[in-house]
Amino acid sequence: MALRFPAAMIIGHMALALPAVAQALPDWSGVWERLEGNGGIFDPSTVKPKDGRAGDPGVRQYPPLTDAWEKKYQANLALAARDRLPDPISRCGTPAGFPRLLALPDVYEFIVRPEQTWIITENGPNIARIYTDGREHPPPAERWPTFTGDSVGHWEGDTLVFTTVSMVGEKHTILDRSGLTLSDQATIETRMFKTEEGLLRAELTIEDPLALTKPWKVTRHFRKLPEGTRVYDYACAENNRNPITATGQTLTLDTEGRVIDIDIDEAPQQ
Amino acid sequence: MITAGKTKLTMSLLAGLLACSGLAGAHHSNAMFDKAVVREVTATVREFQWTNPHIWIQVLVKNEHGVEEEWSIEGGGPNTLFRKGWRPNTFKPGDVVEIKFNPMHDGSLAGLFIGARFADGTTLGNW
Repeated sequence: MALRFPAAMIIGHMALALPAVAQALPDWSGVWERLEGNGGIFDPSTVKPKDGRAGDPGVRQYPPLTDAWEKKYQANLALAARDRLPDPISRCGTPAGFPRLLALPDVYEFIVRPEQTWIITENGPNIARIYTDGREHPPPAERWPTFTGDSVGHWEGDTLVFTTVSMVGEKHTILDRSGLTLSDQATIETRMFKTEEGLLRAELTIEDPLALTKPWKVTRHFRKLPEGTRVYDYACAENNRNPITATGQTLTLDTEGRVIDIDIDEAPQQ
Repeated sequence: MITAGKTKLTMSLLAGLLACSGLAGAHHSNAMFDKAVVREVTATVREFQWTNPHIWIQVLVKNEHGVEEEWSIEGGGPNTLFRKGWRPNTFKPGDVVEIKFNPMHDGSLAGLFIGARFADGTTLGNW
């Protein structure tokens, strides 16, 4: 086949397509998992009792909550202790949202490209797009609350720095199963970088004029899994035998879809 | 009744399996299970549902009256369990296994998987 253009022209065109300032980006390839483990707690640094599991009675975190949000949290804690706090992701229909997507079970991929970084979670699945092509957040009139919010950022050396706004907050997401929430006014700055080979750190500074009295700093880590690790489907609706009732009760179904539970609330199923 | 062809697990796999029983990272609250109670039964596997968001082991267990009842034993998600050494055929229909689980608070026929011991002596989860 004859070339339509001389090779030198093609190479020249490719060179022009590269960013004006080429930057060596860090290698975050591979498959990762959260380091802060199975308790499902969003902020392990403030949880009491230490190593408590999200949703277990008596387990809570201590972010700098406003009085109004402390009341909301206490109400949710009481619901969780009775298994009546409906976790939105248990319905298998909506994303975990940001920042909860940084604290999920199963595995992660971090796809780094010059113009954006994608955080892909196997659980969910969820995708967070972090634009690093120089764009700003859209003006307020051109954005609305979404589960993942709007993230823009830049690289400071090997550190990805990004801010996230326009998250849905307490209306549709929780941070973990203890019932911790933010409002839709939250702004989060995240700094992500490798502290050593195979260990990635995310430092979040969360500000929220409705929920927090001062910035709340949360640190989470991801460790790299062995080379060759695969990521699989997470088809949450494939065989979800645990529907949630209107009162937040988690039911259990048998293989025919019949409710197994003996004690169920007098409420229609959703 | 003991069936042949149990899943063989290497010692290295077993080490990994110890840390992955139950609903670690479950997609729903596990408040319905009584974590203070551990039931251990001898059961015959009817069906192994290797599905998202959780795996289910359907087992037949004789009650105190000698009547066979079907229990639904819930475990973690298949993806993470696979990476820890579980396989889609870890439990096969007809397998007779000893199985430990946390029962439901309300006494219904379901539980949260803790561990299992197969006829050849290999174990899975926290046994």
